[in-house]
Amino acid sequence: MFNYTFQWRQAFRALPEMLEGALYTMQIAVLSMIIGIAIAVILAVGRNSSSRWLRAPATAWVEVARNTPALFQIYMAHFGLGSFGIYLSPYVALLAGITFNNAGYLCETFRGALRAIPDTQMRAGRSLGMGPAKAFRLIVMPQMFRIAFLPTMNQMVWAILMTSLGVTVGMAIDLTGVTQALNARTFRTFEFFAMAAIIYYLITKAVMLASRLVAWRLFRY
Amino acid sequence: MKLRTLAGGLIAATLVAGPALADKLDDIIASGTLRCAVVLDFPPMGSRDENNEPIGFDVDYCNDLAKALGVEAEIVETPFPDRIPALVSGRADVGVASTSDTLERARTVGFTIPYFAFTFNVVTREDTGLDTYESLADRTTGSVAGTYEAIRLEGDIEEWDKGGSFRPYQSQADVFLALSQGQIDATTVTSTVASSIVKSGKYEGLKMAGEAPYDIDYVGLIALRNEYGLLNYLNLFVNQQVRTGRYDELYDKWIGGEAPDLTIDRVYY
Repeated sequence: MFNYTFQWRQAFRALPEMLEGALYTMQIAVLSMIIGIAIAVILAVGRNSSSRWLRAPATAWVEVARNTPALFQIYMAHFGLGSFGIYLSPYVALLAGITFNNAGYLCETFRGALRAIPDTQMRAGRSLGMGPAKAFRLIVMPQMFRIAFLPTMNQMVWAILMTSLGVTVGMAIDLTGVTQALNARTFRTFEFFAMAAIIYYLITKAVMLASRLVAWRLFRY
Repeated sequence: MKLRTLAGGLIAATLVAGPALADKLDDIIASGTLRCAVVLDFPPMGSRDENNEPIGFDVDYCNDLAKALGVEAEIVETPFPDRIPALVSGRADVGVASTSDTLERARTVGFTIPYFAFTFNVVTREDTGLDTYESLADRTTGSVAGTYEAIRLEGDIEEWDKGGSFRPYQSQADVFLALSQGQIDATTVTSTVASSIVKSGKYEGLKMAGEAPYDIDYVGLIALRNEYGLLNYLNLFVNQQVRTGRYDELYDKWIGGEAPDLTIDRVYY
């Protein structure tokens, strides 16, 4: 039977510390999304390219990123690269791992969005005298982002939750790292983890809500 | 429908509440199995042999305890941060897991009198040029999250404030991997782990760099705080292990040399 008395007072005193950790969690998630989106656009273009030399590396990236656990990707960024003498700090390793994962998933999201845009859009742009790059940038890409907006925000939520895997590579300052440290010191496991869960929940809810508002404002015809 | 659920719940509650009169010690004896939470990446206290069977001081200690109780021992592998969840969720009855008896933790979980005592060493790579504990002040260090030495090292790094940093890893194996790769420059570990890991030669180029000046780390067995019947039994068991010479025997088997004194001068436990 569950045999435990909850002591919330002690846990609440650690709330500021945990919220500070939550800021780092957000920081990593946002950075990983910004870099991830940039890479994903390049990968998506690569995947749609007719050149094999562009298609192959992009496909390889997507395959590995989507078909291996995020935990493995983060662990490899820290200990895997470490065995080749490349030392990423826990922060950078975590960021690199999640960015790698984000880029893989978002690439496929963007590729799907690109498919939904009729070829005629590109041709219309070209017929107005734009070069292929300019037409892509000004005509196709904005439409792609519009179609992919909500799935992208979904990935953002995923990224926030994935930051919790940082503890496996010695990350101590994000929300899970802080929670784990508090747990080790006091053994008040359930209070701290319950609070961390609620904070994660509120963050992701806020992100979803904000993205719905933004979508509603931006994408009205 | 709602009423039925309520009635069902009440019946279930009384059924569950009934046997709770028997305490944990009764439960263990009745079930015929003693489940011990043991950390198995902490040689020589707990590890696995080449057949993947748990071995070590803590494993033997658990077996002795089970024998004394007249039940079968079952080893529940538990990483350091999961010791308390294992107890509270009922996956294990007793933690034989080198748990430092800090007052902060004792607010949550019940400790026995010390059954073992650790001192600490600095372990570093041969190429770092570190030779004392104080020389870690401006280096990247790491240790196993949630252990006594991790808490002390992190505290000292923070207090020295000379640009050093501390990384908590999830297992002892990760710490030595990070150290041998060069991710971190030094770690502090219990003297038992230090000697066994440096001797094993599993990680090349590691060496000991003197003692870490921490207080002696007395560790107790742990059980739920309110299980006084069980804690009482465990205290007597620890006492008997020393009295019968079994403690010295186990120490000699797993660590070697003279076993540390488990009593503290000038005060009762």
